[in-house]
Amino acid sequence: MKSLEEHIKEALKCVRCGACKSVCPSFDVRRREPSSPRGRVALIEASLKGEEGLGGMYVGHIKECTLCGSCLNNCPNGVDVPGLVMAARAEHVRREGLSPVASFALRNMLSSDRFMPWALKLASKLQGLFLKSSSVENGLVSRFSLPFIGGGRLLPELAGVFFMDRRHVRALSEAKGDSSKPRIGFFVGCGVNYLLPDIGESTVRVLKEAGAEVVVPSGQVCCGMPALSTGDVKTARSLALKNLEAFEQGEYDYIVTSCATCGHGLKNIFRELLSGEEDGMSARVERFSSRVKDITELLEGILSYKGRAGEGSGDRVVTYHDPCHLRKYQGISEEPRLLLEKTGLRFKGMKNPCKCCGLGGGLAFSNYELSMEIARKKAEGVRGCGADVVATACPGCIIQLKDALHRYGVRAKVVHVVELL
Amino acid sequence: MLSDTVKSELERIAGTANVSFAREDLICYSYDATNNPVAPDAVVFPGGAEEVSLILKMANSERFPVVPRGAGTGFTGGSLPVEGGVVLSTERMRSIRGIDTENLTADVEPGVVTGELQSEVEGLGLFYPPDPTSLKFSTIGGNIAECAGGPRALKYGVTRDYVLGLEVVLPTGDIIMTGTKKTVKGVVGYDLTRLVVGSEGTLGVVTRAFLRLLPLPEATRTMLVKFSSLEDAARAVSAIISARIIPSTLEIMDSVSIRCVDEFAKIGLSGVEAVLLIEVDGREDGVERDVADVERICKENRSVEFRVAADRFEVKDLWKVRRSISPALKRIKPTKLNEDVVVPRSRLVELISGIQDIARKREVVIASFGHAGDGNIHVNVMVDGNDPREARAGGDAVRDIFDLTVALGGTISGEHGVGITKAPYISMELTDQDIEAMKRIKRALDPSGVLNPGKIFPSPDTGAPRG
Ligand SMILES: Cc1cc2nc3c(=O)[nH]c(=O)nc-3n(C[C@H](O)[C@H](O)[C@H](O)COP(=O)(O)OP(=O)(O)OC[C@H]3O[C@@H](n4cnc5c(N)ncnc54)[C@H](O)[C@@H]3O)c2cc1C
Ligand code: SF4
Ligand code: SF4
Repeated sequence: MKSLEEHIKEALKCVRCGACKSVCPSFDVRRREPSSPRGRVALIEASLKGEEGLGGMYVGHIKECTLCGSCLNNCPNGVDVPGLVMAARAEHVRREGLSPVASFALRNMLSSDRFMPWALKLASKLQGLFLKSSSVENGLVSRFSLPFIGGGRLLPELAGVFFMDRRHVRALSEAKGDSSKPRIGFFVGCGVNYLLPDIGESTVRVLKEAGAEVVVPSGQVCCGMPALSTGDVKTARSLALKNLEAFEQGEYDYIVTSCATCGHGLKNIFRELLSGEEDGMSARVERFSSRVKDITELLEGILSYKGRAGEGSGDRVVTYHDPCHLRKYQGISEEPRLLLEKTGLRFKGMKNPCKCCGLGGGLAFSNYELSMEIARKKAEGVRGCGADVVATACPGCIIQLKDALHRYGVRAKVVHVVELL
Repeated sequence: MLSDTVKSELERIAGTANVSFAREDLICYSYDATNNPVAPDAVVFPGGAEEVSLILKMANSERFPVVPRGAGTGFTGGSLPVEGGVVLSTERMRSIRGIDTENLTADVEPGVVTGELQSEVEGLGLFYPPDPTSLKFSTIGGNIAECAGGPRALKYGVTRDYVLGLEVVLPTGDIIMTGTKKTVKGVVGYDLTRLVVGSEGTLGVVTRAFLRLLPLPEATRTMLVKFSSLEDAARAVSAIISARIIPSTLEIMDSVSIRCVDEFAKIGLSGVEAVLLIEVDGREDGVERDVADVERICKENRSVEFRVAADRFEVKDLWKVRRSISPALKRIKPTKLNEDVVVPRSRLVELISGIQDIARKREVVIASFGHAGDGNIHVNVMVDGNDPREARAGGDAVRDIFDLTVALGGTISGEHGVGITKAPYISMELTDQDIEAMKRIKRALDPSGVLNPGKIFPSPDTGAPRG
């Protein structure tokens, strides 16, 4: 990881022009300077330089960043504000420790060796007993609160049987050795595993249709991004190592994920997280990371997926939301749109498709109300274009958008692009 | 420092949630785009004219400075609390109160972001032309206070030309209404609107603005033209205007700016010595003819490549090039002495080649770009401020540039105002009598000197280091 001096140098690249204010989702709602990327840089710079008197308010501003990367994308000086924010959070955790709730969630659940944390399993069995059901266009949405997620929000019900635990998925844990087909290692990720297993099912199905062999390595765990965004570098690093090892058990032409955040983590963050670890590590990481592809990127760009023409009805309108971690950190925006053209649905763009949905960076957990305010514009965008279906490419965005559309009374289904193929 | 009574009185006036003395806020309201931070003693977010008035009345009785601030994107330090006191942020006053599609006027609060007003009126087929490059993140109030302008000034004028009337809280706390709310004409009394526009927050706080709108032009075409010499590009500019074509944008970028922005935007501009960004608007058939004429004229002046944006995405790309230059310059050298001089259009070639001579003579890098169409060039002298030789050479170069500008019959600031960074230089352009007349107006309206002190007029403590 970077040194203090490197971070200060990064902060000093900022000329305080303010251009980033026009793209920051949290500033858009708050409309006060400290909530802007520029304000965050000023605060972090002051803190790095040892300024006294920064307290809870400082921490609050650091937490209100969704790590969407919009500012970085828009900054003429390439100031990595989200990177600075993550560093500031890590520093905060180093000094103050994690909050008991976050620490419980992250250390016990996400990093559990086996990909089936007991607490979640128990919750999935019990949820029917104390969840309030809510009938929404979106279907399976219930109100429930787990200790680490916080109450009040609408979340998809936990999967009855987690994706990775399904018998046919377990049967895919090792390669069959068919060398004629491209072999794909599927990185599942928490969102798909626990909450939206249908995305996993679709991913496997479509990849097979596209002529690939799919392997779902069993030793994989959470990608570590939730831990990292809370400032828990230690957990994130150990998760990264476990994943690296899990995927080194086999030989893959590509490693695919259907989650934009996991993709960003595996492609970009791993390099930084594991750099300088031990001899030969950077070569190992490079081998792994350079193979990682988003599902849309793989299908459209590499496997030249043809689609199943003729299906779907042309009168249903689909729109697309760009996940920040896909567009801004992986530069992928065309592929999912091209895939949608193969669904037979009528495509109509929404206003500001690349504006952050508000979920990221732990904001949905640390400040649910702000997160939902950010999502309001998204919901209005969907309403404005009259879509029946919102497609996107990140389980996190899906969860957030479902909740937001429900809250703001917009009737549209939210799905992953691969579910429409 | 503010006394405890002042502090609690501020909280009573604006509400506790809208006043802050927290270190975090003082840090974030200490800077603007000059990046020369000066922390205030408090930040207050008033909700309207009444609150601003009460704050200013108290400032007069308790003697503390009040400094208006919009988005803090100023290039001359206008919103910096150089003498301490209270920064008065307009961020809470940001509603568009009305758009009158019959009279073509808008009624807005000062904290409205200019670009947000523009997209709002454009949705109604209307047009608010002033377009400072910072339009997406600067405010109407800040634009009015600096009389901001942009590329469209050539055809459509600057902020001043679109302000019909203002609600202003004078430094003494009196609330006045200048000009008219909905009529283009109006000559009753002095034209105080014009006095307040461009007064850099020193004569009053704008709390509401009544703006003039135009119908949105039917069609726009954006062109990017490359040249292998700066003089060719400058000559093309003159030729376009002489041919009676008034583009809505006519921007020039020199090789230093091009190199720098190409690094950020990667648009294959390396090796090009000058670029013109040209936009024409009007009726569909008219713009097609203009594009053809502009192309012919550029070729006559030895352009090496001519490109018309095919769709709105390409338009955005072309503009991104232009909008990124200023902040991206820091890639060359850490310190940017940023000037925006204007000369009569006919003297543009002399200005640009003169600047290149100065760069050679003073051994500094100078990036020039800007609104060639109206003779307004942003000249950026790039130095390392920590290197004494470079710092001195930079200062000398700036002085040379101002001398040259004045000699060519121009002005030393077209858009950014004086603030603190240009205060030491105003006497190069204004006579003692000019300055004294302005000071008398300031004293008459602000007898205790509480509103944005230390700006515009050179004084021992503001002649200090520049930016
Ligand atoms: C990248 C970049 C590009 C720019 N390009 C241009 C350009 O092309 N053209 C141009 O003209 N400028 C340009 N600027 C400069 C700047 O954006 C303008 O001067 C703008 O008008 C400042 O608006 P603001 O809201 O940020 O005001 P601030 O910087 O907050 O304040 C500017 C001045 O206005 C006063 N003020 C603010 N609000 C009020 C109010 N309600 N009542 C009274 N006084 C008030 C302040 O006291 C201060 O003196 C650019 C700046 C940047 C960073
Ligand atoms: S982070 Fe970049 S865009 Fe934002 S103020 Fe700093 S330099 Fe400008
Ligand atoms: S990463 Fe996103 S939320 Fe965070 S400061 Fe940048 S634009 Fe704002």
